[in-house]
Amino acid sequence: MRKKKAITLLFTLVATIFVIVGCSGTDSENVSSNSGDTKTIKFMHLWPEGSSKTHHTIVNEIIANFEKENEGVKVELEVLSNEQYKDKLKVLSTSNELPDVGMTWAAGFLTPYVEGNKFAPLDDLLENELNDSFVAGTAEAYAIDGKTYGLPLELNIATIFYNKAIFAEYGLEAPKTYDEFKHIITTLNDNGVAPIALGNKDRWTGSLWYMYLADRIGGTDVLTSAINRSGTFEDPALVSAAEEVQNLVDMNAFVKGFNGLADEEAKSMFMSEQAAMYLIGSWDLPNFTTNEEVPQEFRDSIGFFNFPTVDGKGDLNSHVGGPGVGLFVSEDSDVKEEAKKFVSYFVKEWGEKSVTQAGVIPATKLDADSLELPQMYVDVLNELSNATNITLFADVQMSPQVAEVHLNMIQAIFGKEVAPDEFAKEHENALAAE
Amino acid sequence: MKRIGSFFLYLSLAIVAVFQIFPIIWLFLFSLKDNREIFSGSPFALPSQFRWENYTKVWEGGIGVYFWNSVWITGLAILLTVLFASMATFAITRMKWKLSKLVLGLFMVGLMIPIHSSIIPLFNMFLNINLIDSPWSIVITYTAYNLPITIMILLGFYYTLPREIEEAAIIDGCSVPQMFFRIILPMTIPVMSTTVIINMIYNWNEFVFVNTFISSDKYKTLTVGIQNFIGQYMTDWGAIGATLIISVLPILIAFIFFSNKVVEGMSSSAVKG
Amino acid sequence: MSNKWLIALFVLPALLLTAILIFIPLALSGYYGLMDWDGIGAMKFIGLENYMNALQDGKFWDSAWHSFLLAIFSTLSLLLYLVIALILSSKIKGADLLRKIYLIPMLLSSVAIAQLWIKIYNPTNGMLNQILMAIGVEHPPAWLADTALVLYAIFVPILWQYAGFYILIYYAALKNIPESIIEAARIDGASPVQIALKIKLPLIMSVVKVTIVLAVVGSLKYFDLIYVMTGGGPNGASEVMASYMYKLAFSSNNFGYGSAIGFVLLIITLVVTFIVRKLTATKEEIQY
Repeated sequence: MRKKKAITLLFTLVATIFVIVGCSGTDSENVSSNSGDTKTIKFMHLWPEGSSKTHHTIVNEIIANFEKENEGVKVELEVLSNEQYKDKLKVLSTSNELPDVGMTWAAGFLTPYVEGNKFAPLDDLLENELNDSFVAGTAEAYAIDGKTYGLPLELNIATIFYNKAIFAEYGLEAPKTYDEFKHIITTLNDNGVAPIALGNKDRWTGSLWYMYLADRIGGTDVLTSAINRSGTFEDPALVSAAEEVQNLVDMNAFVKGFNGLADEEAKSMFMSEQAAMYLIGSWDLPNFTTNEEVPQEFRDSIGFFNFPTVDGKGDLNSHVGGPGVGLFVSEDSDVKEEAKKFVSYFVKEWGEKSVTQAGVIPATKLDADSLELPQMYVDVLNELSNATNITLFADVQMSPQVAEVHLNMIQAIFGKEVAPDEFAKEHENALAAE
Repeated sequence: MKRIGSFFLYLSLAIVAVFQIFPIIWLFLFSLKDNREIFSGSPFALPSQFRWENYTKVWEGGIGVYFWNSVWITGLAILLTVLFASMATFAITRMKWKLSKLVLGLFMVGLMIPIHSSIIPLFNMFLNINLIDSPWSIVITYTAYNLPITIMILLGFYYTLPREIEEAAIIDGCSVPQMFFRIILPMTIPVMSTTVIINMIYNWNEFVFVNTFISSDKYKTLTVGIQNFIGQYMTDWGAIGATLIISVLPILIAFIFFSNKVVEGMSSSAVKG
Repeated sequence: MSNKWLIALFVLPALLLTAILIFIPLALSGYYGLMDWDGIGAMKFIGLENYMNALQDGKFWDSAWHSFLLAIFSTLSLLLYLVIALILSSKIKGADLLRKIYLIPMLLSSVAIAQLWIKIYNPTNGMLNQILMAIGVEHPPAWLADTALVLYAIFVPILWQYAGFYILIYYAALKNIPESIIEAARIDGASPVQIALKIKLPLIMSVVKVTIVLAVVGSLKYFDLIYVMTGGGPNGASEVMASYMYKLAFSSNNFGYGSAIGFVLLIITLVVTFIVRKLTATKEEIQY
């Protein structure tokens, strides 16, 4: 009886599969709502009004201006939060339904979309109206085989923010060398202050630490060349960077239970003065400068320093960072010309408005002198212009599959569940399998 | 001896009750705090300053539209689910036919599909029949995905229904549909109320489907209102708390209403039959 | 109207909806499992390779083991729910109010519940560790960061969240028992405990069996709370089948493989459910 039922069930399933296979593959015609002579550009972004009010407002302003200047073109918006945005983009791409304009991340995230022919090259914009408007190296992060498929909106570097008040209390100063840095950790620990806030549940946060150690120990290229396969991940420097991570863990450098904490939680520990240091991207600058919801006293007590040199090695002006989200135009868009025009318009307007209104450091060149910015912005912009190198976030550089391995390994190395050489080996295997 | 026993019984029931009730209290406190307090303070510390502005912020975010969408989509889907599930359960348990076990098996398999397996194929299907960005795609998806669990819950009860009542009805000259609507459905009000509550909770809090199938603001539901406060670099937890409080109130009221129906039980409805 | 038509009329609305909206996607995901597909570019047919890989994927079986543990745990916790429902149904004072209170966690969305428990488990500021330190535990564990503890730490909120759900079902079933039967037993001098075990329990056995299936199936495909609370970490220590599948399909862009895992998940669930039902089937009760 049971058997019979199972067989019937199987049969039904198989039959359904055949029916579906038979009728799938018919690409539905891209029906767009371009009635008459108004053209509609569908635009998806990830700055909801609730959490990113200033970003959201700027986007709306830009759209309003664009529509005013371009009769007959309408921009239709869909706004999603970060996670939801990524998931939805994924679903849309499986059905070939990407919005005309949307947001993408650089390198690893972008590659499958380019290989699948989903994004349109934007080089004509870069050669003409946007010629020379991006900071060197930013638009390049969106280039594959010589063509650029995304235009970046932000540029960030990660630096170590620290609480000057806590440092002063224990007679500490911003370190230049790793030994000084370790001394700070021991001093803070001896006095019962948690040295570093780290939310490694999110994993990319720990990756920042690893990347900086790799950069300082092995030089600016070692990680990048391991990822692009001109080098290997079993490079001694990459292994000893992993060892160094574990040394820091052994020193109790990070807050308790960091592997189970979200970045958000770590951040609030730093912001409620429960930890003295916090390595994060410059996107958090508003929290330490202009954000009125954060007590003035706290904002005044925050400074930042570059990751120290390790054993005399490394370059203080080499950073981990890179462009954040960028705009893409869908290859299959019915309104590609208008979409490109919109993207180029957006990038230009964004550059001016984003820094003053939202505290974003745009990827386009800034005339910092003409703007009234908080001192910390000026300092970060100086760091940017003095930067000898910016290594793109490892999880962004890598393909999504390798990035997943990397991020898991980061959690494992911080949690001391793998040895440094295994850590390197796992990476090497994942990268070699590409 | 007996008194001590019942004292401990009540004590443990009360402890469980405390555990179960505190999320609401916590959520309320949460909704009046800012991010710093939420993360660094104890969950039950009073907010240093009652931030009612979290609520105004949420209102200005325009959750009114989301709210009504939630209400009618949830309501309609519940109605369809419970009706169709009752009909199917009735046919499976009270009628004799060859394929009934197979059909029941199919419903059970329907219980087992992980939602992330189905989301992309579903999107594709709705796209082909032009139901993307239409609230109907949500209504029928909710209905379908809650059918298996609703049938499973109804099943146990339908088996216990005394057959004599049906026989009497047939002798009285009732047609089967008449019997179903006039006698069976009223008799199952307690269990139907149970399934209504469960469906309501599921539909009201669902967001993966809404997020995927709906893109226009005018069709989104309350759970999307929560998403509105989750950002790329910052998440406004206080406002999320406020949205959650606003969204839990109606469901709490509806729950109490249907919960009372669960208790009214057979005795009263059997008489009506 | 013939009987056949009548049956069709009653069954088809539900059956059609299930077939179209659940079974077709299910079949399609099984089909995607035969493909090398990143969900973006072109699909490439690779036969059963993904399924073969799944069988040898250590990480997948780790996650399957976690899902099994959760299933066992959830099934055992049914006992607790059943006891509470039996107590509540025995006409004690305040039963009605208590039952409503017990369901409250279920009303909240998983996002809220996850946030609450993340805060309770916070290693330094969390309520749990504050209490532990207050009673003299010097180094309470970092619950969600400890690979040995994280899975159990997550079971607790799940137990807590579903209490109301099952109590509600049991309670409704118990209320369905005709008062006359219980009254008769009471007159015969049966104690409340005897009534509960000898009369009420057997009468709601069919409902209990349904809930076992619900708990097992629900656990095997469980996703929500775990994903928000730990993302499956640290280092996969709390990864379950559904979160592993989601990560493969949506984060690693390995849609073909993710779909195959989803399909294997379904088959595992089917097999386990079948076994569970065999185990719980009694002689007179082969109805479902």
